[in-house]
Amino acid sequence: MSFSAQEVVFYLLAAATLVSAALVIAARNPINSAMSLVATFFFLAGLYVLLLAHTIAVLQVLVYAGAIMVLFLFVIMLLSLTDLGEPVRRVSLHRVVGALSAAGLLVVLVAALSRWQAAGVVGKPAEAARFGTLEAVGGLLYTRWIFPFEAVSLLLLVAMVGAVVVAKPRI
Amino acid sequence: MSLPASQVAIQNYLLVAALLFCMGMLGVLVRRNALVVFMSIELMLNAANLTFLAFARDRLDLTGHLAALFVIAVAAAEAAIGLAIVIAVFRNRGTVNVEDIRTMKY
Amino acid sequence: MDTSWLTKAWADPRALSASLWLIIALPALGALVCGVLGKALGRTYVNLLACATVLGSFVLSVFVFQAVAADSSVFALSPASGTAIRFALAGDWGTWFSAGGFTAHFGLLVDHLSATMLMVVTGVGFLIHLYSTGYMEHDEGYWRFFAYLNLFMAMMLTLVLADNLVLLFVGWEGVGLCSYLLVGYYYTDEAKAWAGRKAFVANRVGDFAFLMAMMLIVLTVTAYAQSPANSTPVTAWQQRKAIWTRAVSDPGPLNFQVLEEFARVLPPSAVTANKNLLEANIPSGPLAGHTYGGTLTVIFFLLLLGATGKSAQLPLYVWLPDAMAGPTPVSALIHAATMVTAGVYLLCRMSPLLVLCPAAMATVAVVGAVTALFAALIAFAQDDMKKILAYSTISQLGYMFLGVGVGIFWAAILHLVTHACFKGCLFLSAGSVMHGNADELDIKRLGGLRKEMPWTTACFGIATLTITGIVPLSGFFSKDDILDGALHARIAGAPWVGPWVYAIGMVGAVATAFYMSRLYLLAFTGERSKQAKVPHAHESGWVMVAPLVILAALSVILVTHGIPGVIQRPGGPPVTVMEEFLKPVFDLPAGVAREAESLHEVPASSTPVTVLLYVFGWLVALVGGAAALVLYKRVFPARAGRPVPALLAGIRSFTVNKFYVDELYDAFIYRPIKWLAIGLFRVVDEFIIDTLAVRGTAWVTARIGSILRYLQTGDAQAYAAVMAVGLLVGVGYALFQVLAR
Repeated sequence: MSFSAQEVVFYLLAAATLVSAALVIAARNPINSAMSLVATFFFLAGLYVLLLAHTIAVLQVLVYAGAIMVLFLFVIMLLSLTDLGEPVRRVSLHRVVGALSAAGLLVVLVAALSRWQAAGVVGKPAEAARFGTLEAVGGLLYTRWIFPFEAVSLLLLVAMVGAVVVAKPRI
Repeated sequence: MSLPASQVAIQNYLLVAALLFCMGMLGVLVRRNALVVFMSIELMLNAANLTFLAFARDRLDLTGHLAALFVIAVAAAEAAIGLAIVIAVFRNRGTVNVEDIRTMKY
Repeated sequence: MDTSWLTKAWADPRALSASLWLIIALPALGALVCGVLGKALGRTYVNLLACATVLGSFVLSVFVFQAVAADSSVFALSPASGTAIRFALAGDWGTWFSAGGFTAHFGLLVDHLSATMLMVVTGVGFLIHLYSTGYMEHDEGYWRFFAYLNLFMAMMLTLVLADNLVLLFVGWEGVGLCSYLLVGYYYTDEAKAWAGRKAFVANRVGDFAFLMAMMLIVLTVTAYAQSPANSTPVTAWQQRKAIWTRAVSDPGPLNFQVLEEFARVLPPSAVTANKNLLEANIPSGPLAGHTYGGTLTVIFFLLLLGATGKSAQLPLYVWLPDAMAGPTPVSALIHAATMVTAGVYLLCRMSPLLVLCPAAMATVAVVGAVTALFAALIAFAQDDMKKILAYSTISQLGYMFLGVGVGIFWAAILHLVTHACFKGCLFLSAGSVMHGNADELDIKRLGGLRKEMPWTTACFGIATLTITGIVPLSGFFSKDDILDGALHARIAGAPWVGPWVYAIGMVGAVATAFYMSRLYLLAFTGERSKQAKVPHAHESGWVMVAPLVILAALSVILVTHGIPGVIQRPGGPPVTVMEEFLKPVFDLPAGVAREAESLHEVPASSTPVTVLLYVFGWLVALVGGAAALVLYKRVFPARAGRPVPALLAGIRSFTVNKFYVDELYDAFIYRPIKWLAIGLFRVVDEFIIDTLAVRGTAWVTARIGSILRYLQTGDAQAYAAVMAVGLLVGVGYALFQVLAR
């Protein structure tokens, strides 16, 4: 059984993603969770490149890993949460139920996936080289998707103002 | 040069995404620290992104990429606000433990 | 000399037809104005207005009566047969309501029967309104009184003028309502208010029976109209039937003309070429399978029950003596002259159908006769003047029912008219006596009024002579015309009824003479009683005496209508004036009875035998009067101070307590119903509905709420867990649906 280069890269990246995601939810220290999350983002970016989503991969690294995680780390530092652990482990009903429902959801999704057939669309030569490039995405974004684009920019403005207002000690 | 179907079956990507999603959901429902909960949410969003991109690759439709772009933008906005709220709550209650924030109790 | 004014109508018949509604509207308007504005208007204007409206109705009634009685060219068109009804005026003001196949119209009809009733109601009504202005001069609520009295007039006139059973029923209920309002007029006295309630409830029982009878009539008539026996028109008779079938839909199955035509069809006859439909089965509808004859009998039993309620016969008479709690003019108008005669009027209106049910006729006659005797016996021992007169009314109404039952309708109506006059006179005189003796009612405490109240005594005396028949005035002839007719009538299937009710009626006549003479002797003659409330009585003013005089005069004058053998008919025996007058109305029932062979008439006796029978009746009355005279003037005063024999005392107490009928009803009817009501209240209303259903629901909701509140833990992750479960279920379901396809 020979694997192609793509497959090998995929399996490596997938394993790494899953391991760091597990560390995110399992780590005691929030800093450890945050760093694991950063790692997850990087590995995911790799996966995106495999999927020929170059632009998105770059944006993932820039925005998610670069901006959002930095924000997270700032907040963790600000709140000095490093020394706050989780002293008592209480097992309550809703936690068990939540865990079970997550497991159940996994089962259902896997069952659904196993019955799914890939469409396997083969692209025309003209589009082939352009798929997933910044040029292609940008072209689509500023023509057909201009309205959501502007709406999102408004959303970001609102979010900024809201964040400032909420976080102030005194309005 | 035409673009063939992916050598790695798309199911695999979707499986990874499903696993990520469920792990994120587990984190949301089980962890006590509000920030970790938040991070788990980001995990779930990323799982969604991966799904979008996998389907886009499968159908060679760039709509999936644009959806993922918007998800990233919205996640950024949400993170900003959410963390501001966490700060505000910490200032009021002195804790980010979700179990200790129960003012809506009967 | 131009005598055309005797044979032509004084006013244009078409204008009269169109303005029939005014007869009802005037008192109704008076009621409205007196009720709403009476207090502000003041006594004088209220008196004036109330009397004026009734006077207006009376004047219009006179014109209508004259047109219908004198002018032979006056006619109304019957919607049921397409032919003309002679000596009648009619007006139809369109459809009142129409539901499914049933229609009712606002229609008024005046024929000789209604015209007679009109004159009685408006004439006596006007006199009593006049009397009331004097009687109620010291009462504070006079405007209420006149409003109710005018409303009563409007309702009674609706009853009398209606051309269908539905509108008649409106008037029927309306007079019942006014009776309640007026009997309970002194509502501050609880006993008097209860008396009003008793009157209304007893009436209601009768009304219920009436309503059921109406519904049965509708079912029967419409079933026949739709039946195959009523087939396509070929002969002239069948074309007439086609017009009738259309009339059942419009103006409706309860129209009196429609019912009269129906009565023509039912018995076997050469003209209609019918078999005897009375034996035939009703073909369709809810009554299918029952015979027409059987259904008609049930209908008339129910109508009889309704009539006993309104006209105070057995078993529903108990309200009338208690209704004397109302003011005396009310007793005179409602409970002597007009409302209580409504039952008799109804049965006479339905006479074409009534004669087809011999069983019903026999029952009516027996009920009337027994009531007449029963009430007379109760009146023997009463001491309250108005109670004696009330029982006398019940007794005289029994005679009218007797007359209707044996098929001698014209005599029953004649007795109705004469009774209105003399009973009205008696009641008004009693009121005059009360007015002058500080409302004293006990005849044992009166006496010697002859000298102090001469006019009242004279009128009362004349009326007493009329009712007893000691002097053959109008009352004697009207009653004996009924009894003579009863003696000669043979109802099919129960031929013994005629002579037996004659015998009971004669005994009743003795009793009537006895108790009325007793009343007169004790109250008016002799010395003033030591227990009288005031030392001297004073005569009433002209406003109260004038109606008395007029009514007494009428009682005398009306004798002309009852004397037998006065008018010679071509090809028939000589008849009374009244019989000839009412011939256009009562010819049809006589004809129907002949065809159905339900009523035979033994040929009237030859003149000497008739004269002997009447003389016998007169002697009977004399015996009764003489017995009273002897007992109350000689025997009892001579025995004063000696103890009464136990047997007589026992009988007397039994009689004074009205034969314990009220107590019987109380024990067997009121008590069980009351217990049932209390039981239903405690169990169903208080326990099941209030406690279990209403408060129980609230309690269960509260308990569930206090259990469910523990779900609100305040922990956001718990809520999220629930959402996750929901999501899982949803996704699982969706997947299952997709995969199952």
